[in-house]
Amino acid sequence: MEKILLKNLNNPDAHKIDVYIKGGGYKAFEAALKLQPDNIIQMVKDSGLRGRGGAGFSTGLKWSFIPKDPTIKKYLCCNADEGEPDTFKDRGIMDWDPHLLIEGMLISSYAFGASASYVYIRGEFAFGAKRVQAAINEAYAKRFLGKNILGTGFNHDMYIHCGFGAYICGEETALLESIEGLRAQPRKKPPFPALAGLYGKPTVINNVETLACIPAIIERGPKWFSSIGPEKSPGPKIFGVSGHVKKPGLYELPMGTTLRDLIYNHCGGMLTAKPLKAVIPGGVSAPMFTAKDLDTPLDFDSVAAKGSMLGSGAVIVMDESTCIVKMAHIINRFFSHESCGKCTPCRDGSPWVTNILSRLEHGDGRPGDVELLESLCTNIFGRTFCPLADGAVMALRGAMKNFREEFLYHEKHKRCMV
Amino acid sequence: MGLQPINPYKRYIMVTVKINGKEITVEDNTLILDAARDAGYEIPTFCYQADLMGIGSCRMCLVEIEGQKKLQPSCVTPVLHGISILTETPTVMSARASMLEFLLANHAMDCPVCDKGGECELQDMVYKYGPHKGRHAEPKFKFHEKDYALSPVIIKNSNRCVQCMKCVRVCREVVGRNVLGALGRGDHQEPTSFFRSFLDCDADGNCIEVCPVGCFMRLPYRYKTRPWDLKGADTICPYCATGCRMVIEHRDGEVIRARAQLGVGMNSETLCARGRFGYEIINSEARLTTPLVRRQRHGTLEPATWEEAFRIIKERMPSLGGNTVGGIAGARLATEELYLFQKLMREVFKTPNVDSGSRWDAAAVEGFIAATDMAEGGVSVFDCMEADTVFVIGSQVSEENPVTEYIIRRISAGRRMNVIIAGPRAMKLDSSANLLLRHYPAAEAALLSAVILDINAAKLAASADLTAAKDAKLDGHLKAAGLTIDDVRALATKLRNSESIAIMAGTEFLRYPHGIESLNLLKELLRSLGKKVRVMPLLDRSNQRGAWEMGVHPAFGPGYVKAPAPGLGISGMLDAAADNSMDALYIAGADPAALYPDEAHVKEALSKVRFLVVQDIFLTETARLADVVLPGASFAEKDGMLTNQEGRAQIIRKLLPPPGKAKVDLDIIRALGEMYDRSFGPKNAALVLDEIRRAQPMYADVSLAFNNKRNVDNKLDNKAALVKGTKAALTIRKFEQAASGQDAQYPFMLATGNHLFHSGRLTNYSKTLNDLMKGMTVEISEEDALASGLAAGERVLVSGAGFSVTLMLTVKKGTKRGVAFIAENFDAAPVNRFFRKGKGAPRVKITKA
Ligand SMILES: Cc1cc2nc3c(=O)[nH]c(=O)nc-3n(C[C@H](O)[C@H](O)[C@H](O)COP(=O)(O)O)c2cc1C
Ligand code: SF4
Ligand code: SF4
Ligand code: SF4
Ligand code: SF4
Ligand code: FES
Repeated sequence: MEKILLKNLNNPDAHKIDVYIKGGGYKAFEAALKLQPDNIIQMVKDSGLRGRGGAGFSTGLKWSFIPKDPTIKKYLCCNADEGEPDTFKDRGIMDWDPHLLIEGMLISSYAFGASASYVYIRGEFAFGAKRVQAAINEAYAKRFLGKNILGTGFNHDMYIHCGFGAYICGEETALLESIEGLRAQPRKKPPFPALAGLYGKPTVINNVETLACIPAIIERGPKWFSSIGPEKSPGPKIFGVSGHVKKPGLYELPMGTTLRDLIYNHCGGMLTAKPLKAVIPGGVSAPMFTAKDLDTPLDFDSVAAKGSMLGSGAVIVMDESTCIVKMAHIINRFFSHESCGKCTPCRDGSPWVTNILSRLEHGDGRPGDVELLESLCTNIFGRTFCPLADGAVMALRGAMKNFREEFLYHEKHKRCMV
Repeated sequence: MGLQPINPYKRYIMVTVKINGKEITVEDNTLILDAARDAGYEIPTFCYQADLMGIGSCRMCLVEIEGQKKLQPSCVTPVLHGISILTETPTVMSARASMLEFLLANHAMDCPVCDKGGECELQDMVYKYGPHKGRHAEPKFKFHEKDYALSPVIIKNSNRCVQCMKCVRVCREVVGRNVLGALGRGDHQEPTSFFRSFLDCDADGNCIEVCPVGCFMRLPYRYKTRPWDLKGADTICPYCATGCRMVIEHRDGEVIRARAQLGVGMNSETLCARGRFGYEIINSEARLTTPLVRRQRHGTLEPATWEEAFRIIKERMPSLGGNTVGGIAGARLATEELYLFQKLMREVFKTPNVDSGSRWDAAAVEGFIAATDMAEGGVSVFDCMEADTVFVIGSQVSEENPVTEYIIRRISAGRRMNVIIAGPRAMKLDSSANLLLRHYPAAEAALLSAVILDINAAKLAASADLTAAKDAKLDGHLKAAGLTIDDVRALATKLRNSESIAIMAGTEFLRYPHGIESLNLLKELLRSLGKKVRVMPLLDRSNQRGAWEMGVHPAFGPGYVKAPAPGLGISGMLDAAADNSMDALYIAGADPAALYPDEAHVKEALSKVRFLVVQDIFLTETARLADVVLPGASFAEKDGMLTNQEGRAQIIRKLLPPPGKAKVDLDIIRALGEMYDRSFGPKNAALVLDEIRRAQPMYADVSLAFNNKRNVDNKLDNKAALVKGTKAALTIRKFEQAASGQDAQYPFMLATGNHLFHSGRLTNYSKTLNDLMKGMTVEISEEDALASGLAAGERVLVSGAGFSVTLMLTVKKGTKRGVAFIAENFDAAPVNRFFRKGKGAPRVKITKA
């Protein structure tokens, strides 16, 4: 397939604006400036683009919630926090094709009338932040940013904001708090950011990959976009594959590519002769699949229908040498460490779960541990303030559903099966 | 968002919802929690507090909404028409138990050594909602080993925290101090302050009060008792006219705690430092416990029996005293006492010379009462906060009336309104204001006159002559106030654009009475423009309004009824005394020697009174000059009523007997009267109140019943307790502005008032309050400090004409240049020494000590 999002991944100078422009860059933006903003929103709606940040919400619909009143200041925030372990798709774009992101952000901002935008970049992405900042500077110099852009009367400023190492900053409202200089904790919704977001103003938060899809939609039209992959979940998608495969890395493929195709064709198959034991289809909070699920097409609806989620499209492949209890422990340790502390079940429940898993993993299981874990999952799931803790629970539940005997073995024999 | 002011312009839409099958109709947007509580269902909460913004974080209040998969937090979820809410299903109950289980997972659970034990919300909830068996068997996370002190009044144990963030939120949203915040993340999140110490804390302890567990705790109360060993009495804080309701509690005769209660009084759970930590005066070693008499003319005060003291009084104070006898009562006495006091002076001693307080001129008081519409009945602060514009002038309200300030901050943050502040000094409430006018001390008149001119400009514009005259006048006012025309225009515009305006006018008008006339003019002018104008006085003594309404004033009797022959007020009496024509003066609960602005004059005058009787609870500066000193009772030792600045009558209840031979002031006043006239009375507080109700129409049917009850749904505004209006003929006299002039030698104008931690000289007997300060201070603006090469914390010499004192310098950003402030509370730096009778704001210079 022709690459849309990663087309410049192997073009070492694509981050420079001249190279980007030479490759046809900013054409879509110039074209967009000639369109009615509402038409752009309609095009994005028609394209069927769904948010690549994890939730898969229709991007065009999200933009259409922004009030039309031109006297109200509006913001776009690009979610480049990419904090989930194993997710590394957005940095591919920021590091190697930052202008694609900026162009996408400009078109989006023009579409719903944002006069300023922020790129909220994960603190560890120092290289990416430098690249994006340099690209923003170049765009200002070329009058793609600033006042009266390309003589159209459209004004727009763009800033980057670097995080400081908290995963919760990726949650859209915590991200807003963080930009405002407050502690990153999710905000109560409603009011939704589309009505009262950054500094209380209407705000759209979109993922890097989502925004990177926009120029192509303008250039080639919504029909082209929606013809890629399944009807309800179309478009190109970046899969970040890690784990026990021959060729881990970023793969841009049509939505709906099956797991089997991804692992055995594109990634060159399993790393060793050891067969596949489990695979996480969409980031660590997605419940894991086993070999029997390999024919699941990777798109939002098909993965959800099988009880997991596509999330950010991070695929982790595990062979028979993997201890699932250990895996569950690592994942939960991450989430409890990243709990923002706001709500009770996540703050005090997740570390409890992690402690139990840690004991199980380290040969200190006690009778009743597995049952207790299940009960704690019930008490946490769906009762927290934001979905962070739900992610932890879903991961653990998925592991326990498919590999319950492994957990029981740890509980009883105080050691690993593998 | 809990308590929202009712907006008169909003139409309320009612919706119908089902709660546990019961159909109820509530206002749209009511929180499910409130709706359920209204319907009689209890929902446990930790992070919800009616007067704080909802955060929905503790998840204790989860309920089921039929048709929704997830449980919803009822404290932040508004009702929607037609929904069906279930608050007692097994899922809900198990969610509650599991939240508590989570909270206990890392909880210290050291109830046996926890000060909160016995009144802990966590204990109560676990008892009620389970779980009754622990499953958590992992190591607990500990924030620290030992409790740490955050301030001289706050000690903290984070291992008991339930992370409801009420402490942080009350500090930010209500107190406005913002010294608390959470550090860390996840289960390491700790609500505390940076460096675990308070750099700029108001020491009000509201964080302690809202904390549901033993995490924020009172340091002075530490390990002193269990709550069930305490005996308490409902009372009113005696330290300013905000009139905060609180409970004081003693163990074995020692008062060791004052606390406010959620939903009780207009203050709900909040108090300021004075109220919460100033109770030590009650058990102070320095209390007067026996009468003192001066047996020789220049001898010392010696203990005596009541009989001897009364005998001396009878000998030297003739009942038919008439014009050479006078009485001054403090504005902290109970209303019943004040009523009886003026009755004693007028009916027994046959003198019209009666006044209240230590500082204000009687004619100024009369004008101020008229200008602030006090005779028209009580005006609730909550009603004021419904106005389009609130205009605070003549009061450093953040320090004088802290809890009033909390109310202004909290309510103004929740709605669109103007908050305008005019005053020389920066204060905490400034951050809630959308217009600040920094004028010179004593320049309220100039500012108000300028605004009046500007609002009237349209009328004047017709004639060129008038316009010219106006411009010249305006210039003069602006110069006198130290303001620009833009400041004044901004104020005028805001007033013009408001339909309803509340003016909160403070005691600076009494200190510099020439502003009263302009205050009244502005009020009338705005009314003539069709605006709804409310005026609320901001007063510093707890029962100042009660004293006036009881007629402790030379020009009027109870109910502002004109006195047949007006007598002398405090200034007049002092002048007469200085003139050797005062035979006897009876001063009860007032300390003019320490507070009357012109120390030399007041002391000379008092020493020339031929017979001086002082009744007080401490040996005050005034008592030291007395011939007979009678030991009275503190607020904790009497039943009675106080009327706050809004005109809210509230009762206080006796907790302890007066110490030693001291007596309740009402009994002393009555006994004194009986000595001359056996029938003098009524004989007890209840009967006096009956007589007041009969004699004083404003009090005829004010309700005291509601006082100590938890107000339903946190509606804090008990209007039944507001006094009613009456017909009164009060005069607003014209006062000449006493020029304080320019003087290059003395570049600062001196302002005074109460310090945040003190109320008059009374609170000096609270060790805790004294310890909150590192010493006596003088405050100037940042620019002046820079310009004079002085730094905060430095010792400086403040000198005026004829007096100088060494103080510690504090520096405030935003205070008007050329203004220095010394609180009137310091025994060792009596600020009234700087003042000269009849002269304006005194001028001083400040140099390195
Ligand atoms: C705990 C948590 C972490 C998240 N982290 C990210 C993230 O790192 N990047 C991201 O794009 N979205 C993240 N999200 C999702 C965002 O909240 C939001 O849905 C997304 O940025 C919307 O963009 P989209 O519509 O383009 O997908 C996270 C959500 C949660 C609950
Ligand atoms: S679930 Fe609660 S504690 Fe966890 S990250 Fe979200 S808001 Fe914070
Ligand atoms: S906070 Fe409550 S439950 Fe915790 S130790 Fe203190 S009394 Fe016990
Ligand atoms: S210290 Fe108290 S008030 Fe503050 S968060 Fe903890 S439990 Fe709540
Ligand atoms: S001093 Fe005033 S504001 Fe402070 S607690 Fe007492 S009455 Fe309330
Ligand atoms: S009381 Fe509702 S979440 Fe805390």
